[in-house]
Amino acid sequence: MAHSSVATPQEYNYEIIRKFSIMALVWGLLGMSAGLYAALQLAYPFLNFDIPEITFGRLRPVHTTLVIFGFGGSALFATSYYVLQRTCQTRLYSDTLASITFWGWQAVILLGALSYMLGFTQSKEYAEFEWPLDIAITVVWVCYFWLYVQTLRLRSQPHIYVANWFYLAFILATAILHIFNNIAIPVGLFTLKSYSVYSGVQDAMVQWWYGHNAVGFFLTAAFLGMMYYFVPKQAGRPVYSYRLSIVHFWALSFLYMWVGAHHLHWTALPDWTSTLAATFSIMLLLPSWGGMINGIMTLSGAWHKLRTDPIMLFLIAALSFYGMSTFEGPLMSLKSVNALSHYTDWTIGHVHSGALGWVALISFGSFYHMIPRLYDTRLYSTRLVYVHFFLATIGILLYITAMWVSGIGQGLMLRAFDDFGNLAYTFMETVTFMHVPYVVRAIGGAFFLSGVIIMAYNILMTIRQAKAEQAAMEAKIAAKMARA
Amino acid sequence: MSESQKQDAQKQGAVQTTGHAWDGDLQEFNNPLPNWWVWSFYATVVFALIYWVLYPAWPVASTYTKGVMNTITFTNDAGEQVETHWNTRALLLRDMQEGKHAVRSREYMEQVAAASYDEILADEEMLAFTRSVARGLFGDNCAACHGAGGAGVMGLFPNLVDDSWLWGGSVEEIQLTIAEGRMGFMPAFRETFDDQQLDAVASYVLSLSGHEVDTDLAASGKQIFQGEAGGCYYCHTSEGTGMKSQGAPNLTDNIWTVADVPGAQDHEARLAAVKKVVRDGVVREMPAWQDRLSEEQIRLLTVYVHQLGGGQ
Repeated sequence: MAHSSVATPQEYNYEIIRKFSIMALVWGLLGMSAGLYAALQLAYPFLNFDIPEITFGRLRPVHTTLVIFGFGGSALFATSYYVLQRTCQTRLYSDTLASITFWGWQAVILLGALSYMLGFTQSKEYAEFEWPLDIAITVVWVCYFWLYVQTLRLRSQPHIYVANWFYLAFILATAILHIFNNIAIPVGLFTLKSYSVYSGVQDAMVQWWYGHNAVGFFLTAAFLGMMYYFVPKQAGRPVYSYRLSIVHFWALSFLYMWVGAHHLHWTALPDWTSTLAATFSIMLLLPSWGGMINGIMTLSGAWHKLRTDPIMLFLIAALSFYGMSTFEGPLMSLKSVNALSHYTDWTIGHVHSGALGWVALISFGSFYHMIPRLYDTRLYSTRLVYVHFFLATIGILLYITAMWVSGIGQGLMLRAFDDFGNLAYTFMETVTFMHVPYVVRAIGGAFFLSGVIIMAYNILMTIRQAKAEQAAMEAKIAAKMARA
Repeated sequence: MSESQKQDAQKQGAVQTTGHAWDGDLQEFNNPLPNWWVWSFYATVVFALIYWVLYPAWPVASTYTKGVMNTITFTNDAGEQVETHWNTRALLLRDMQEGKHAVRSREYMEQVAAASYDEILADEEMLAFTRSVARGLFGDNCAACHGAGGAGVMGLFPNLVDDSWLWGGSVEEIQLTIAEGRMGFMPAFRETFDDQQLDAVASYVLSLSGHEVDTDLAASGKQIFQGEAGGCYYCHTSEGTGMKSQGAPNLTDNIWTVADVPGAQDHEARLAAVKKVVRDGVVREMPAWQDRLSEEQIRLLTVYVHQLGGGQ
């Protein structure tokens, strides 16, 4: 049934994928450590030791940037180049462009994190980079887009595999979002400071149009692309439904763009904008679930694999968390629920059930599948993959339940009245209440991070093993040649 | 095709794939959309449609659809009843005008506003209401410095729960302190006194509240305190009992808010604590709240703070 001859791995550019994969793990370790430290500061504020560079306000964007763009972004570059080449059965269009995306992206992440610690920020959530870095990102992104499209055109397959639609939607949407949200006027050519062209409620609207679509296209669509390749590959089964993949792809792409304003309920934003955002969020539920159904049903008939294959556990757990957080999201987007949840840790818990549960777990599963193939070897230890899986799952569950307690608890305290019709709690009392959940959250984060440390060790040993195998092979060949 | 047939067909490879294969074995079945998925999606669309009919939803030229059968009536500033389409601002106004909690709180508030301080202090129910409001006001505005319980921070922010009132403990004085703020100032004597003089003055100050000190030192300290060399008596008075118009504390009551005498382990440490204050002076500021809190809120806080420290 296969259409054409399979290109051999030697013809693919694996070098760039290896580099991105390793950097994804490096940024993951750094970014999650920053997150854990920030979490500890919330529970024990003395931990900032009055050092401005590591206070919560600066460490927090370092954490989000390193995990979303450093870890997540590098994982997407790596897997998209892998999926693109293998499903098009062609080498990347240009190794130079690929290298530019690698070095450019890594430089932006590093400089971004350093600039936040030094106090430079646009103060736009998930878009804190100041203007020179924004321009650099745009250049890298145009290279990425061009490389992706040109490679697709070079494909030796008549059809474009579904994973590539998702990756392409992610690349396109991210370009649009990034450019429009970051239009700003620098104070001077030799200063990092700039002012956004938007102000007031327009600024808020553009920011959350960006912010929520960063979730939709960067953290959802792109990782669905990852899912559409690695789940069927690892399961050894065809994708459940081609039809479903088309329908939910277009529904997702169309609906996501409308929902950003649900971050601004009960503010100066006009009520009609709020209503549209809430209703489109509700309509987004099933299209989001389309990806989960397609992923999980791909395993129907092969459920037994969950008993023997820890990589499959990662992929299926990721889809389950994806389903849960895409249910929670529309729920929180309703104005009445949002009145309770907004400005509380419920939001933080929600974002982490998506970020840890979906984004990170699907990336880990994909890496465990991909990295041994990149180095033409087997994983150093399957047992450690199990250990990682359970550490990660326990960590996520502790994290999100702690945030539910903290967020819903604080939300209820802030709206409680006493017998005289007065507010029953001061803000400070709600903060005192959150201390214990904050400690539990930090413990959850520590579980999750320790899992990643074990993964990094496992991957390191896998690469060393591959090098040793290769050396042995070469020695064998040399010996044979010598005999001959 | 029934569900089981479908599964059978899939097993035999008869639920047809799309016919393409990528990367060796990557294929797609062409299963139909799950019915529950399609119908649930339609249900969310119906939900959205109903929502759009009832609430402000779609922009049309320079206005927007307002929603039907969904109005809010509230009273505007001119006292007229106004009916408007559903919107969050009107919702808040109505809630503040007619909401159960808002109404109850307002009734109590009116009663308290009409009462004098003496009447409030004599009425259990008005006092309880005052505590309920002012506990929140205190927690959100005052507690950052004075602590949630009002115990202050030694050296920085006065303790409000002890018996000592730097600026006076009557309700009128407390109200003035909150409304207009206070500047607590004592000059630094590091240029004026050498170390021996500092020792002397500190010994005398400690002796005023009954601490055992070197009597010779205290005697020479008294000369400085009461004489022109120090001039301490200007504010603290010759008896050392303080002067509330200056915010100068009583030095004879053994209540300490700047020098950490209670926290000192031995005589040396007590002496050092007092010396530090004399040497460095005191600059403390209580901000004025009259631009930030309403007159009523300040009155309620006054009663609350008065009750905290057993006012005068």
